[in-house]
Amino acid sequence: MKAVLEQDYASKKKKNKFLHNIKRDKWLFALLLLPLAYILIFRYAPIYGVVMAFQDYNIFAGIKRSEWVGMDVFQFIFQQDSFYRALKNTLLLNVYDLIAGFPAPIILAILLNEVRAAKFKKITQTVLYLPHFLSWVIIGGMVYLMFSNSGMVNTFLANLGLAKIEFLSQKVPWLMTYISVGVWQQIGWGTIIYLAAMTGINKELYEASDIDGCSRLRKVWHITLPGIKSTINILLILQIGRMVSIGFDRPFVMGNSLVSDYSDVISTFVYRVGISSGDFSQATAVGLFQSVVGLILLIGANYIAKKLGEDGIW
Amino acid sequence: MNTGTMKKAAILLSTALLACVMAGCSGNNGNNEPAASSGGSPAAVATSGPVETLTVEVFDRGIQGQPDLNNNTWTNYVNEKFGKPNNAIVKYVSVPRSQEVDKLNVLMAANEAPDISFTYDGTTVTRFAKTNGLYTLDELIEKHGQQLKSYLGDTVLDYGKYEGKQVSIPAKRTLLAWNGLFIRKDWLDKLGLPVPTNKDELYDTLVAFRDKNPGNVNGVIPWATAASGLNYTFGNLVPSFWGPMSEEEFVTTTNWLKPGNKDAYKWLNKLYSEKLISPDFALDKTAKQADADVTNGKVGFYGANWDYPMVQKIREPLKQNAPDANYVPIDAFKNANGKYIKETYNENGLFSFIPKSSKHAELAMKYLNWMADPEVLFFLQFGEEGVNHTMVDGIPQGIAQTGENMQMSNLNLDYTLVVNGAELGDTEKNVKTYAAALATGDKAYEKLAVDSYKINTTDGFTAFYYGVPNEASIKYGKTLGDMNKQMMDRLIVAKPAEFDALYDKLVKEYMDAGGKVVQDENIEHYKIKESSK
Repeated sequence: MKAVLEQDYASKKKKNKFLHNIKRDKWLFALLLLPLAYILIFRYAPIYGVVMAFQDYNIFAGIKRSEWVGMDVFQFIFQQDSFYRALKNTLLLNVYDLIAGFPAPIILAILLNEVRAAKFKKITQTVLYLPHFLSWVIIGGMVYLMFSNSGMVNTFLANLGLAKIEFLSQKVPWLMTYISVGVWQQIGWGTIIYLAAMTGINKELYEASDIDGCSRLRKVWHITLPGIKSTINILLILQIGRMVSIGFDRPFVMGNSLVSDYSDVISTFVYRVGISSGDFSQATAVGLFQSVVGLILLIGANYIAKKLGEDGIW
Repeated sequence: MNTGTMKKAAILLSTALLACVMAGCSGNNGNNEPAASSGGSPAAVATSGPVETLTVEVFDRGIQGQPDLNNNTWTNYVNEKFGKPNNAIVKYVSVPRSQEVDKLNVLMAANEAPDISFTYDGTTVTRFAKTNGLYTLDELIEKHGQQLKSYLGDTVLDYGKYEGKQVSIPAKRTLLAWNGLFIRKDWLDKLGLPVPTNKDELYDTLVAFRDKNPGNVNGVIPWATAASGLNYTFGNLVPSFWGPMSEEEFVTTTNWLKPGNKDAYKWLNKLYSEKLISPDFALDKTAKQADADVTNGKVGFYGANWDYPMVQKIREPLKQNAPDANYVPIDAFKNANGKYIKETYNENGLFSFIPKSSKHAELAMKYLNWMADPEVLFFLQFGEEGVNHTMVDGIPQGIAQTGENMQMSNLNLDYTLVVNGAELGDTEKNVKTYAAALATGDKAYEKLAVDSYKINTTDGFTAFYYGVPNEASIKYGKTLGDMNKQMMDRLIVAKPAEFDALYDKLVKEYMDAGGKVVQDENIEHYKIKESSK
């Protein structure tokens, strides 16, 4: 009798475990509700709007009464040269950004980590964060003042008797300017996660290596870098997942008609057809395409990372 | 550029679908309401009923020191004279000038567009009409718009028709000149040069400006301009290069393919490579640099709207920075037949319309009708005598205003939706009045205005009115428009050796991206229109 009761109690206990957990941590779960609601309302609920990509969407008829057109919208998009140009540029600019922009915060974080004077470190960090808080519109103005043909840098070069560099109107110089301004803006902010990861490295490892007589570079190479390896990995995978998406402000502000062959990207394309020409079907279709390719890249990168024996993001 | 809205747009887009979806759901709600009968809102306006609120779009031009766009002398007048008798409140909804179409698209999609909305872009109106988003106004005009109808007349009203139905109310344009060219007369006098009357003379003059720097300024710019699509233009330079062609070709052929068009850009390209044109013009996406150069007295010659030298932002700083500067309007681009052909405006201005989502269509029409009253128009354009203007020889002379009484646009263009330009019933008077209003009574500008208007309406041609919308243009118009601007900039800046190849390549891209389809449809419409004559 007692045994039966105990068994019964055990299964009940199992059933109640979930409820029990919720009861025990109710405040933690309550805290979770808000972000959860945010994600549901602003990330999941709008997904039904992708049906617009398969409609000849009429803003006055709404989704329910717009005409279904199957894949027509996609066909129209894939016929346009300007779409391919935008896609190519998006990938290209992102690859360059990845090559130049991804290692930069890692290197900077390591440098900052090696700084001994705490005050100097703090000040440097703050100064490096600042550009992150500047709007691209303002940065665009600064870039124009500094790098245009009659800007500060070119005036300086001319006064030295050197030839002008057309930073903003020739392909290669423009790309360099675009990428380096991006790195300048994001580098400080990017170090935050790496610095956080570095504080998690066991201090005893450094002490042990000190006793073994390691040089600083050796310590960086054998302790710091391996210590943040998984962080680097995850950030890299996420970055690759974002390969097809690109911010709107930066290419829009930095671009101009002379370099439009390289500066017209998917976000500016969507802006033009969606908001400016009011063709919401096309804009949605491009957005959907972008998301699907992004998902494929993300899964691909994650798969490769796991095959190489690293931690993926899931 | 308006940072706020741009950011907003960026956020909308970066969440990819959000904006569109939100639009979708509210779009449904709005249309489920049965009020959308085209005869006007069913509830008749009763003087004793609840107060109606009429919303009206207004441009926010971001003028320094502007008053509240919804609470100033002009809006108070409207509410006093129109609102009270009709038991209504008129509320103005501001839309940034530089992004009017973008913002309007979003407002319309969200069913939040003001009861009276407007745009300068005819294609946008056609698109809304085509997707059945606008009230048809024929009945409303018959019932409540007789004064408006007789003021505008059939020619103007015709521009607002779609498939035979009135879907928008075009404003009447009283002054038809579009672009103008202006040269520093004081520089010419200093160098002992005559006013150039053709391309070659202009070229020599510009070279002289560059080499002799008559103003003795740092960084002289013989010919100032900004990125294409802003206030600065090349005037009628391009048409002056066009060779002979048939009427049909002239109307329907894409400019890029017209005979001689290439030579026009080649000429500009040559001038640019010889450093006669602003070096950074293509990067000057807001025309701020060009404005600064002109007002700092560094510029010898420029093309812009025919009234540009009179505009406050140019006139005032120029007077301070270079008091000797004297720009005069000229006609410099003579074509092979000895004519100075140039495009002028059609008789219509902006298009006002009533979105289907509006519940105050009847009141909206009454408002537009009320505005066509000469007395109302006069007050809104010129204000009160003694305060906003003084009468000299029957011409109201504007008095510069700040605060409440300030006019944010020329003659309150943005508040007087039925008219564009001074309206005193006579062109000569209108030009003088316009000048007096812009230059706040400075007599020197009256002559400039009269001269500029005369020059810039000589040998004018207007865009052909097909009477039916071009479907391809609705679809590709915006892309082609953007391409146009990019092509101009790129062709002018190109290395001279690469010009020919680039021209052919860009034009091919343009035609492939929809230029050809638009042109074919134009030809078709043209033939129909001609055969029905």
